[in-house]
Amino acid sequence: MTRPLSDNPTARDLHRITVDHSPVDETPVVGSRHGRVDALDLLTGVGKYADDLVLPRMLHCKILRSPHAHARILHIDTSAAESMQGVHAVITGADLPVRYGVIPWTQDEYPLALDKVRYVGDAVAAVAASSEDVARAALARIAVNYEVLPALADPREALARSDVKIHEDNKHGNISKQVTLAFGDVDAALAQAELVIEGDYLFHGSTHGAIEPHCAIGHVDGHGLLTVWSATQVPHYLHRELGRVLDRPSHSIRVIQPPVGGAFGGKSEPFDLEFCVAKLAELTGRPVKCLYTREEVFLAHRGRHPFQMHYKTGFDRDGHILAVDGKSLLDGGAYSSFGLVTTYYSGQLLGSPYTFPAFRFDSTRVYTNKPCCGPKRGHGSVQPRFAIEVQLDKAAVALGLDPIELRRRNFIGENTQTIGGFHVGSSGFLQCLDEVERASGWRQRRGKLPKGRGLGIAGSTYISGTNYCIYPTELPQSAVQICLDRSGRVRVFVGTSEIGQGSNTVVATLAADELGVELEDMRVLAADSDLTPVDLGAYSSRGTLMAGNACLAATRELAAKLREVIASTWDCPAGDVGLAHRKAYRLSDPSVWMPIQEAFILAESKLGTLGAVGSYKTPTANVHGDYRGGTIGASPAYSFTAHVAEVEVDEETGDVTVLQIWCAHDCGLALSPTLVEGQIEGSTYMGAAEALMEHHRVLPSGLRTDGQKRDTGPGVEGLLAASSLLDYRMPTSMDVPELTALIVERPDPRGPRGAKEAGEGPLHSSIPAIANAVYDAVGVRIDDLPIAPEKILAALKRKASPSGEVR
Amino acid sequence: MLRLPELEVIIATSLTEALTRLAAGPAARPILGGTDLVANLKTGHTKAQTLVAIGQLPELQGVDASGDVVRIGAAVHQAELARDPDILELFPALAYAVGRIASPQIRNAGTLGGNLCLDTRCRFINQSDLWREALGGCLKSHGKECHVIPGGGGCVAALSADSVPILMVLGAEAEIARVQDGALVTRRTPIADLYDSDGRRHVRIADGELLVAVHVPKLPHGARAVYRKWAVRQSIDFPLVSVAVRLDLDDAGKLKQGKVAIGVLGPRPRLLALDRWAGRTLDEDLAKQVAQYVFDRSHPLPNVLYDHEYRRERLRVEVLRALRTWYAPAAVGGAGR
Amino acid sequence: MTAAENRSAARAAQLLHFQLNGEAVAVAAPPHWTLLEVLRYQLNLTGTKQGCDKGDCGACTVRLDGAPVLSCMTLAALVQGRAVETVEGLGVGGEPHPLQRAFAELGAAQCGFCTPGMLMSAAAYLDDLATREAPAVDTGEISAVLGGNLCRCTGYTKIVQAVAVAAGEVIERTQLLAEMSNDDGGMP
Repeated sequence: MTRPLSDNPTARDLHRITVDHSPVDETPVVGSRHGRVDALDLLTGVGKYADDLVLPRMLHCKILRSPHAHARILHIDTSAAESMQGVHAVITGADLPVRYGVIPWTQDEYPLALDKVRYVGDAVAAVAASSEDVARAALARIAVNYEVLPALADPREALARSDVKIHEDNKHGNISKQVTLAFGDVDAALAQAELVIEGDYLFHGSTHGAIEPHCAIGHVDGHGLLTVWSATQVPHYLHRELGRVLDRPSHSIRVIQPPVGGAFGGKSEPFDLEFCVAKLAELTGRPVKCLYTREEVFLAHRGRHPFQMHYKTGFDRDGHILAVDGKSLLDGGAYSSFGLVTTYYSGQLLGSPYTFPAFRFDSTRVYTNKPCCGPKRGHGSVQPRFAIEVQLDKAAVALGLDPIELRRRNFIGENTQTIGGFHVGSSGFLQCLDEVERASGWRQRRGKLPKGRGLGIAGSTYISGTNYCIYPTELPQSAVQICLDRSGRVRVFVGTSEIGQGSNTVVATLAADELGVELEDMRVLAADSDLTPVDLGAYSSRGTLMAGNACLAATRELAAKLREVIASTWDCPAGDVGLAHRKAYRLSDPSVWMPIQEAFILAESKLGTLGAVGSYKTPTANVHGDYRGGTIGASPAYSFTAHVAEVEVDEETGDVTVLQIWCAHDCGLALSPTLVEGQIEGSTYMGAAEALMEHHRVLPSGLRTDGQKRDTGPGVEGLLAASSLLDYRMPTSMDVPELTALIVERPDPRGPRGAKEAGEGPLHSSIPAIANAVYDAVGVRIDDLPIAPEKILAALKRKASPSGEVR
Repeated sequence: MLRLPELEVIIATSLTEALTRLAAGPAARPILGGTDLVANLKTGHTKAQTLVAIGQLPELQGVDASGDVVRIGAAVHQAELARDPDILELFPALAYAVGRIASPQIRNAGTLGGNLCLDTRCRFINQSDLWREALGGCLKSHGKECHVIPGGGGCVAALSADSVPILMVLGAEAEIARVQDGALVTRRTPIADLYDSDGRRHVRIADGELLVAVHVPKLPHGARAVYRKWAVRQSIDFPLVSVAVRLDLDDAGKLKQGKVAIGVLGPRPRLLALDRWAGRTLDEDLAKQVAQYVFDRSHPLPNVLYDHEYRRERLRVEVLRALRTWYAPAAVGGAGR
Repeated sequence: MTAAENRSAARAAQLLHFQLNGEAVAVAAPPHWTLLEVLRYQLNLTGTKQGCDKGDCGACTVRLDGAPVLSCMTLAALVQGRAVETVEGLGVGGEPHPLQRAFAELGAAQCGFCTPGMLMSAAAYLDDLATREAPAVDTGEISAVLGGNLCRCTGYTKIVQAVAVAAGEVIERTQLLAEMSNDDGGMP
């Protein structure tokens, strides 16, 4: 072995060649078993989430919220609150009269309501006070005069009513967005089809349920720099909107995203609290913190849109899809959020993994006086995927085909285009089907299970980020800055948002291999707009592909420099220098090596401080459709998933117990298999929860099909039925099925070392796999989620009665 | 975050002191584990200026199974009770019922007395101040209208305590203490009579009184009880269906007497006697009759957050399954003792 | 004193003494503060998390006299003289607790927010396991032990695995200790 280095070695000390006959460990870090690089910080209680931060002289902010679902604000009197001891500032809509919204084309929110409130919980005023108790007491002393307006909770009513407009300046009544796209002659194809499956599907809303409530702190320092720490998954978009709303140049704003305690899409746009703490910090000259109550998290929502869907799918006698025709009504809630994108995604993300020779979708998002819907894990495509996958199952039954075989027959293939013009590169979909078929014992067990038990299959796909940013720009979507250090450490500065999905680990893993260090040598500093380059955020499953590619670009540049310096020392070609596991070595003769720290020092002494930047721009040529909306949802690479669920249905109670779910997911290449499994398991669980119990329900009514009874409730519109983690029932450890994660690797040339997303795709088909398994178990279809026991009993009753429907 | 309103906490050192403090009226409330009270104070529908902590009082401690009647102190934690060897042997269904309350952490802090005095629950009251303000209140908060039964004159929030139905069929009694003319006196009342039909104040314990213990008579030969709970989740949830069944059989296996206690209806649990079937042998046919009898006399309301028609149907099945533990234990799906 | 002054005096912060992670602490807290608030905002032990305000999620789980309880539901005034353990007290001498190590290695912590509470529930279970005559790892029991701790990231799979791994270590160590003491007993 080499002698230990002195603390301050000179370059001459290092011009040595170490001869060692021990073989070099070439096992890559990528693909090895490891947890999150930063896990122990969090596990020991050392890591600081937003609410763990305390600044000197910090004030506490509380937000006054509307008790009316729809009302005009006539007058606000804050004087009594302002005169209270301990109250430092009170703001209302008039203090921040700038509209914002994450999508530049549909900005329709104010940080605090300016003229109108549009749902129970809409923010009206905010207080900064010496303590939360004082702030809360002050809220009670703000007097607001409202003129109550008729409230619209039912999207069908909102669509029909022209006399009540939730947004007065909206062009089309209460329609937030309407998209119709048609590819091929759908009507002709359906007319020729051997079999047409037609049906209504209801997907009620669900919410993210991250355990950490939203929290933000604002502070303006002596130089006039506004710093906002926020539990956000989009620090960059927050940075932009803070600049717009507060009318500040972006260089005078710093956004820091501390570790985030879960997000799932629920923290993927700016929220009222971030603007309030910033404004109150400006006004008071003191740091101001706001921590949502759990109820406020439910009100902020942006969860999965309730969808009412009508789908018609035509098949030939062999089970090939001929055409798909889908019509969807989306209940958007009070504001736009990502709704424009959701409306497009509701059709655009269906184009694979199956070939659609003809496809039409017609989706309408409607404003209602309810908490605003937005993106939740699997944004926009989870609901229609449910409809499609159930229709495929129905077709398989009708045609007497194995439903896995039917899916194989319709596989779109690799290096191809969807009917909407999206370029699909690698696809491990068939392997996913094979894997779940094998692991679940599908062939041996299906049809032979005891009474009340069944197996169901479903497949899906998702994006690895989108080719186009939310706002028009030619700038890179992600960038990293890397420094090597004479201690043998590698520092990565990256804009990505670590929200538990492991984005810090992803860049660490990729960089470790390129630079020949261990994961423990990596320091990842993320999401601080003063220190890290821009990344657009943790949404649409873009992190691994985009930040990963940016990281590779930077590390490869650095590694090349290292190799050249070492090669010149060893007098060999740079291509003969390998870097792995804290060693630089000759590929042709691994007995020649030096510790990587020496290599770093050598290079630094020759070249000066070692650093590199890398960025990633998405492909834009031949990757999407050439029509209005043809870019929305187009991704550099797509992941693929298949689920098999095994359920047991209790015909006496209607209980559905999901015994096990096998999920195979093609993530291109698993950079961190343990983390990929974690994403697969977490997604699959979340899907199962939506299938069986979760329901972000608003009283008195949400979506319903004709003839369904109105959800019982009081004569007050727009109240959340469940606004606590007691009433919004998320599964406990005792309620989850056994989850089996199966990693399928079909590397994509566009992914960093072939990697694609793993965080959202594996949610989709979990839901229809369960629905299809329920049918296999007891022969009834529940097309109205969640699959609750009373629906099972009702369906069993219908099935048993002679006049009952036959499907 | 949601914080408690300002209040005063007094740690009572004697029962007399506690009772004297509590005699001040509803502004003073006793606190044991606080797992229900603290939540209700935070969400604001329960008001109190003073909390009198009674968890340390000796009269409220311990399980004494030495006599014919088992005395369980009101401050005995639910978790302790669920694993108490005497309780497991004598009243396994009671151990099971308290072991199904909420979550492990809540059972570690929560007590039997606390569960018996659990406030009634309703989807229109267990909400935030903002929510109730948006609703315009209800009979149990600041409003004048019941939203469960529009036009209804009384509050029908649901008794949701897991321990109540099983203690009712076991014939348990509450020991309630008060100070009268400077002296400590106690009274006994059957658990079956402890509850009133007014959801605003459904526990018949007056200001200045305190539940100190529960007395459960040991079961005679041939008697056994079963508790069944249904909730959406296996943990954390309050019951949506809660039913206890007790049967006393003779040596020939024929029914001598039977009782069914049903919770989560309104504020008051329902106790039904099965005496009409005395002398009969329990089988599936009889069990179905009993289940139908219970079904006919029980009307879950749209007070807690689940479809009430299903809850009624579910109640029938849970009664049936409770009865099956006597004649077909292997066929009983799900948990239950 | 007027009645109001009287009340206000009674509501003033009271000095609390209790054991915190094995050390005696004294802290002045207003009577309406919960243990969670005292830990996080007065003692700066922010490892214990707040998730749901009112006892529905388990993120705030700490051990009170050894038993996992919800610190958001526990009046600070009532921990007078008692022993509180938090995530900061897990592990010995800077070495992570076997649970922390297993959680880190097996990917049982994703966002990490529910984790401190999970760890405290699991640690109590491990301690209980060590006192049993014939301890065995039972994943059903582990799920039940964690039944009051909601996790939104993992689907619980890796959490249950990690607790099982740590439990296995505890059992091994307990058995080793038992054998050693048996050996001692056999010595003259």
